[in-house]
Amino acid sequence: MSMAVDSFAASVRRFSPRLLLSELMLKQWFEPVVPFTVMIGLWAYFALTIPDYASVQSSVSLLRLFAEFGFVALAMGFCLVTGGIDLSVGAIFALCNFAALYFLLVREWPVEAAIPATLVIGALLGSINGFLIGFLKTRPFLTTLVTLIILRASVNLLNTQYAQVFATNSVESDSWDFIGGGTVLGIPINAATLFVVLLICHVFLSRSRYGWHLTAIGASRKAARHAGIRVRLMLFMTYVLSGTLCAASGIFYAARQASTDSTTGVGWEFQALTAVVLGGVSLAGGKGTVWRAMIGAVIIFLLINGLVRMGVPGYVTSAVTGLILLVAVGIDVKWSKNRGKAIQKIYVNPAFVPLAAAPAVHAGSGSPYAQNDRLINAQGIGIDQVEGPEDVILDRQGRLYGSTRDGNVIRFSGPNFETREVFAHIGGRPLGMQFDRDENLIVAVAGMGVYGVAPDGRVFKVTDETNRTWYKLNDDSRLRMADDLDIAPDGKIYFSDCTTRYEMTTNTLDILEGRPNGRVVCYDPATKTTRTVINHFYFPNGICVSHDGRSILIASTSLCKVFRHWIEGPKKGRTEVLIDELPGNPDNINRASDGTYWLALVGIRTPTFDLAARKPGFRLRMVKQVPTDEWLAPALNHGCVLKFNENGEALESWWDPTGISHSTLTSMREHQGYLYLGGLENNRIGRIKLDGVDDSWTGYDAYWGAKSRATTKVTG
Amino acid sequence: MGFFDHLLRDIRSVIDRDGGQDAIPPLDGAMSPNDRLDTAVVIGDPLPGVDDVIDAGGGAVYVSAGRRVLKLSGTDYVTRTIMAEFDGEAGGLALHPDGRLLVCVAGRGLAAIDPAQPEPRWLNDVGGRPLVGLLSVTAAPDGRIFAVEGSVGRKPDEWRRDLMEKRSNGRLISCGAGLDDPQEVLRDLPYSHGVTVSPDGASLWLTESWAHRLSRFALGPSGIGSREVIAANMPGYPARLHPDGRGGLLLAVFARRTHLIEFVLKEDDFRNDMMASMPPDYWVAPALAGGSDCLEPMQIGSVKALGIQKPWAPPRSYGLLVHLDAEGEVADSLHSRAGGRFHGLTAACATHSGVIIAARGAGCLLNYTGDLR
Repeated sequence: MSMAVDSFAASVRRFSPRLLLSELMLKQWFEPVVPFTVMIGLWAYFALTIPDYASVQSSVSLLRLFAEFGFVALAMGFCLVTGGIDLSVGAIFALCNFAALYFLLVREWPVEAAIPATLVIGALLGSINGFLIGFLKTRPFLTTLVTLIILRASVNLLNTQYAQVFATNSVESDSWDFIGGGTVLGIPINAATLFVVLLICHVFLSRSRYGWHLTAIGASRKAARHAGIRVRLMLFMTYVLSGTLCAASGIFYAARQASTDSTTGVGWEFQALTAVVLGGVSLAGGKGTVWRAMIGAVIIFLLINGLVRMGVPGYVTSAVTGLILLVAVGIDVKWSKNRGKAIQKIYVNPAFVPLAAAPAVHAGSGSPYAQNDRLINAQGIGIDQVEGPEDVILDRQGRLYGSTRDGNVIRFSGPNFETREVFAHIGGRPLGMQFDRDENLIVAVAGMGVYGVAPDGRVFKVTDETNRTWYKLNDDSRLRMADDLDIAPDGKIYFSDCTTRYEMTTNTLDILEGRPNGRVVCYDPATKTTRTVINHFYFPNGICVSHDGRSILIASTSLCKVFRHWIEGPKKGRTEVLIDELPGNPDNINRASDGTYWLALVGIRTPTFDLAARKPGFRLRMVKQVPTDEWLAPALNHGCVLKFNENGEALESWWDPTGISHSTLTSMREHQGYLYLGGLENNRIGRIKLDGVDDSWTGYDAYWGAKSRATTKVTG
Repeated sequence: MGFFDHLLRDIRSVIDRDGGQDAIPPLDGAMSPNDRLDTAVVIGDPLPGVDDVIDAGGGAVYVSAGRRVLKLSGTDYVTRTIMAEFDGEAGGLALHPDGRLLVCVAGRGLAAIDPAQPEPRWLNDVGGRPLVGLLSVTAAPDGRIFAVEGSVGRKPDEWRRDLMEKRSNGRLISCGAGLDDPQEVLRDLPYSHGVTVSPDGASLWLTESWAHRLSRFALGPSGIGSREVIAANMPGYPARLHPDGRGGLLLAVFARRTHLIEFVLKEDDFRNDMMASMPPDYWVAPALAGGSDCLEPMQIGSVKALGIQKPWAPPRSYGLLVHLDAEGEVADSLHSRAGGRFHGLTAACATHSGVIIAARGAGCLLNYTGDLR
């Protein structure tokens, strides 16, 4: 089995903790992992130290105690997500607690009326905040601080006035008792309600348009306004929601405690703030989920409750929560600022690259790779009219196409190719090309996938995703960098996706990393499905269906080898090394008229680059310490074109040792006795006359016409 | 290097930012890059191995190239006369006040050629150690001779290995006018490359390539005074310096420092394997000329884009001539950047027909007649 093909077991062997961490850190769901672990740890600690803590009965009563705080923390979470803060949550909670009792005991309203009335009171109180913050644009911190003071004072005033009434009366209502002490499926009613509310809020915040608007406002108020979001109204509604949630909390509290005093809800705003920030809702706004807010709330609740049960004095508990708030805010600020940098620092993880020996390339060395100057005088086509034609191809009419870095397919026609036109604008970075049976030009487009261009210039999508690898953290279902393609006699399109960890602009990093991050993918037009054929391949680049149509040849740029993968016959599904030792980094492979193959070497292996390939630590430090422009690279200015046969034996090579007319040589295409040359960074397409070849041979005929050597004929 | 060493080094790099290795300064001010060196005119046929050039007076120059010392004279220096031929490479040159020509010969020592006598006089060793790697020589107005050896016991052509081994084994020697009373004046220098005595005889200038340093010493009858560092962290590796005839100096810088080279100098493991496994031309190391061999190290920024080599690409080799005023401040500089023609300068001297420059990397002698501030 070849080195290029990696099984699941092999990728386990190549496991790198840094790589895992960097990919984990990219995941949105990874961020609350730390608070979540703390939550579990805290619970486990108390379960071990406090007797009967983990019993069902104890858990149920804990849940009942928690639920009201949970509502308040959720209210705080919403305000934080919009970039604001609501310090009055505790006071609104206390006032609504009072209001519920007032409606029931003083006004003697039925429960069914008292509950909506209390919720309306909460909403009204919230709307004061919302009006000031949303419409009058006051600062959330000061505004809610002021409402906190006023509401708190009002609660105290009202409490003293009605304490007598509350103490002597009680509500005679089953439904009120149920709200205070009932259970649903064994779960306290208030906790069950909280859970339902959380679910609704989660869907609202993460899946609904208005939830997205809230997050957008928190991330950047100005940008949200420019995007047409009704910022003022949304902010108003947020504080109304916050007030309503606090009112719900107050109702449950009133039903459970049936009393009110001056300490009700005191300090809850800071507990809630600590909880929400600890859970990972950013103080800066724009980032957070309801679950994160809840994780933080559970931590704070467990901590305070646990400390109280362990007999720790209240002021110590307050000090502990204060300290936690300090640490959480510090981490929040540092983390949100440096997360990207931290990932960047550990994302690149070079590995040992098992390179074979490099054959000699010196002129006069006698090897088929010996340097010569056969490309120096290549005729230039479209000089300074094409920007980086990575691949070139000719159609049946002899028109020349180049895939350029501005997202175009450029066509040259006329006897000397002097007519230039933009055949199609696809976007992305068009790379490898091939004509299918119907003369559609199928193009591999880095950053987009595989696209087709009909003869009339109409662009259509072929495929842009494949099946995802189940055990990979990085979502590799999208095609990241489709590089080259070829079409089998049955119409299946085989193409390389050279890296799943990097992009077109950073693919050098993949070569420096030297890990099998790429794959070979197949699109079946009959079923319109895309499946990964070979996963974990070292930078697969050029793809060519063999002349007999029974196998595909795959060039591995970072391993400097060419592989053969069987798609038909007894060896179907197997991959073997075809050329083990290449003097450079292979790029595109194409058919030659005499039944052999053309191969472009985009770069020549240098002794220093090969040495670096054996030293992953050196490459890692180089990537970190040396500016990008100064990284070591293969000799990309000195590429060559070579010819090899079906047995993988190199026959001849064509060089431009100066790199003046053909540097970064990535492709070549034979057509009617000429060889056409393309380069990833070049300003022209080159052409040389080939001696002693079939002057009538064209690529289209070799695939779909009379010159085909395919043994597996497919009709249609 | 194990994990722990790297950790220690990382910690050290935070605590002691400049520890031993200075950041490469940018080229700015009077050192701003330009293409003026590429406007110089090549004098005559190529001179492979050209190394030093001095004014011979009377519209002629002495040039060392390969094993020979030539005298170029006549209009546009077309007439070439062989002054001497040695069994080792001829390097640094100087004219003694009494008219003799002093030549540094690799593997041999210091030769003093009297025009009247056919056989040169030799100074072969100082302090019991043979003079194998002499690089530059100069004579004070009072007749004393100063010379530098880059690395004791090493021929000049092993300079790359000397840098990659991070040696500091050069020395400054002095002797009397008759090559008598030789003394080691300074030792353990990081590749002392150029030495010259100011025209008034009051100070001695010294360059040390591996330290990227230019220093000045007061010169008195009793010997040299204490070191005064004029430039400590140059952006390239300084080679020889010669008077410009106006009180200042012409300093040839034979290569630019690059981040990659500085990085490889920190990577002991990689560097040792590199030295052990491949010829010096393919090392990540400074070079006098480059870009033509596909096995040379290549850097990403050097990739030709749309057929153009960016002049600001990380240079494999570079041409840089620095004009210093009497105080050693940079007054002007001539550059041949990446993709330019005249790289690897080792010496330059002022004549009345312009500045004559020895471009060892390009293998030719240049005449620059444009203005030089």
